[in-house]
Amino acid sequence: MKYKSQSVAKLYFIAAIALFVGQILFGLVMGLQYVVGDFLFPEIPFNVARMVHTNLLIVWLLFGFMGSAYYLVPEEAERELVAPWLAKLMFWIFLIAGAATVAGYLLVPYAKLAELTMDDLLPTMGREFLEQPTITKLGIVVVALSFLFSIGITILKGRKTVVTLVLLIGLTGLAVFFLFAFYNPENLVLDKYYWWWVVHLWVEGVWELILGAILAFILIKTTGVDREVIEKWLYVIIAMTLITGLIGTGHHYYWIGTPDFWQWWGSIFSAMEPIPFFMMTIFAFNMVNRRRRNHPNKAAVLWALGTAVMAFLGAGVWGFLHTLSPVNYYTHGTQITAAHGHMAFYGAYVMIVLAMVSYAMPMMRGRKAANSPRSQVVEMWSFWLMTVSMVFITLFLTGAGILQTYLQRYSDQPIDFMTVQDKISLFYWLREIAGVVFLIGLVLYVVSFFIGTDDPEAVEKIEVDAETA
Amino acid sequence: MPSSTNEPGERPGTTLAIVAESLYLANLLLIPGIAFIALLVMYRRYRDAPPLAFSHIQQTISASLWAGALLIVANAVIILLGGYDGPYTWAVAITYFTMAHSTLILFGMIGLVRALAGQCWRYPLIGRPLPENCPK
Repeated sequence: MKYKSQSVAKLYFIAAIALFVGQILFGLVMGLQYVVGDFLFPEIPFNVARMVHTNLLIVWLLFGFMGSAYYLVPEEAERELVAPWLAKLMFWIFLIAGAATVAGYLLVPYAKLAELTMDDLLPTMGREFLEQPTITKLGIVVVALSFLFSIGITILKGRKTVVTLVLLIGLTGLAVFFLFAFYNPENLVLDKYYWWWVVHLWVEGVWELILGAILAFILIKTTGVDREVIEKWLYVIIAMTLITGLIGTGHHYYWIGTPDFWQWWGSIFSAMEPIPFFMMTIFAFNMVNRRRRNHPNKAAVLWALGTAVMAFLGAGVWGFLHTLSPVNYYTHGTQITAAHGHMAFYGAYVMIVLAMVSYAMPMMRGRKAANSPRSQVVEMWSFWLMTVSMVFITLFLTGAGILQTYLQRYSDQPIDFMTVQDKISLFYWLREIAGVVFLIGLVLYVVSFFIGTDDPEAVEKIEVDAETA
Repeated sequence: MPSSTNEPGERPGTTLAIVAESLYLANLLLIPGIAFIALLVMYRRYRDAPPLAFSHIQQTISASLWAGALLIVANAVIILLGGYDGPYTWAVAITYFTMAHSTLILFGMIGLVRALAGQCWRYPLIGRPLPENCPK
C-alpha cells in the first residue's frame, strides 16, 4: 500500500462483504417463499424479504464502490486522500443509517415506518428499490456529497489520469441521478419516467463508468500493460456505454404511457447496449494476454476476467434477450427479467467489487502484493462456486420465465398468474438449490480471508523468454 | 478483401487472422451467412498465407460450421421433437440457443484476442488441430 490513507477502504470493504452475506440470506429466504409461501410468515413477509434483498444489494455495492474509490484514487492521484477522517465518519453514518433502515423494514410495518420517519413532509417512499425513508435518502445525499468532496479534491490536487476522470464522472453521475429519488409527482407516468432516471441511469449508465474505471485500474496494476493502451480502450468503452445506455432508457418506457416513438428508440438503442460489454470482454482478455508480468494475485485477475465475461452474458446477452419492444410486450415483468437482473448485477457489479477487494485487501492487511497460495486457492474455489451457481440460477429463471410467458401471455388459453406459478415451481426449487451453492461459495470467500494468513505470500513467476534463455 | 499487409513489428499474418476472427463474430452477431461467405472466400484466396493467418481462417470456418449445426440443426431437432406448440419446447429451445450462442461468441472473443496478439488458438472441442509451425 503506497499511501496510508488508502486504508480507509478496508472499513468499507468489510462492511460491504458483511452486507453481501445478509443480502444472500434474505435472497434464500425469499427463494424459499416462492415455493413454500408461508415460510417465516408473518415474521418476514415476502415483500419485506424482497425489499431487504434488493436494498442490501444496492447499499453494499455502494460501500464497495466507495471503498474502491478510496483505495484507487490516492494511488492514481499520487497523493494522500483529502480528509480521511471524513471518509471514516461518513462510513459510520452510512452504516448506522443503513442498518437502522433495514431494522425498520423488519421490525415495523412499512406504512408505520413511513409515519415514524415523517415521510408525509416530503413523500418519497413506496417505490421499488427506493423504499428507504426520506430521512435515509437525505443521509445518503450527505454521505455522497462528503465522499465526492474527499475524492474530487484529491483528484484535483493530484495527478489526473483517465481512470480517475472516468471514475469521478461515474461517481458524480451516481450522486446527481439519485436526486431524482426525491421527485415524486402525482402523475404515475411522470413518476415512473423519472424513477428510471435513478434506476436505469445508475446501472446501465454511470455505474458502468465506475465499473470501467475500476477494471482498468486493476488491469493496469496486474498486467503491466502500458497505461496509454488501457486508457484508449476505456475511452471507447465509456463512449459506447453512454451512447447506448442513455437513450436505451427507452426500453423502460414501452408500457408506462409514454409516446410511441420510445418503442423504436428504446429498441434500437438498447439493442446496442451489449456493445460496450462485448468490448470490455475483448479489452480484459486482450490486456491479460499481452501482460508484461505475472502478478502473484491470481485471484484478483480471475475476478477481473470473470467480471468482463459475466457482465457481457448477464447485462449484454440476457438484456438483449427481452429488450426489443415486440418481445418485451410478452416478457415484461416475468422471471426473464429476474434472470437478467441476477446475472447482470452479479457479473457487472458484484464481481468488480470483489475483484477490487481481492486486489487491495492483501496489501491493506500487510502483504506486499498478494495472499498466500492456500488462501488464493480457497478464494478461486469461491469464485467458481458463486459464478457457476449464478449461471444456473439464471438458466432456471430463464426457463421459468419462458414457460411463464407462454402459459400466461402467449398461449391461446392464457392461465392465471398463480396457477402458472405452481406449474413452474420445479424451476424455483432448482433455483433455490443453486442459491444454496452460491451461499456456500460466499462462505468460502469469507473463509479465504482467514486461511493461510501465516503462510508466505504468493510470489510473481518470472517468465523466461525461450529465445533469450 | 482485406490486405494481408501487417503493421510494423507484427507477426506475419496477424491482420488476416484478426479479419478472420472478426468475420466469425460478425457471422454470429450481425450478418449471418454473408460473413461466412466472406470467410470461405478468404479460405480460397489465402491458401498460401502465413501459418498464423491460415490457422485462424481454418479455425473460424470449422467453428462456423459447428455453430450452424449447434444453433440451427439442433434447435430444429428440439422443436420438431417437442412440437411447435409445446411451452416446454420453447423453454428448452430458447435457453439452449442463448447458451450455445453465447458460448460460441465467447470462443470468438478469445480467438480475436489471440489473433490481436499474433497467436494461434484452437477452438475448444469444435476447432481443428493446429499446424505445428503455428505461433502459440
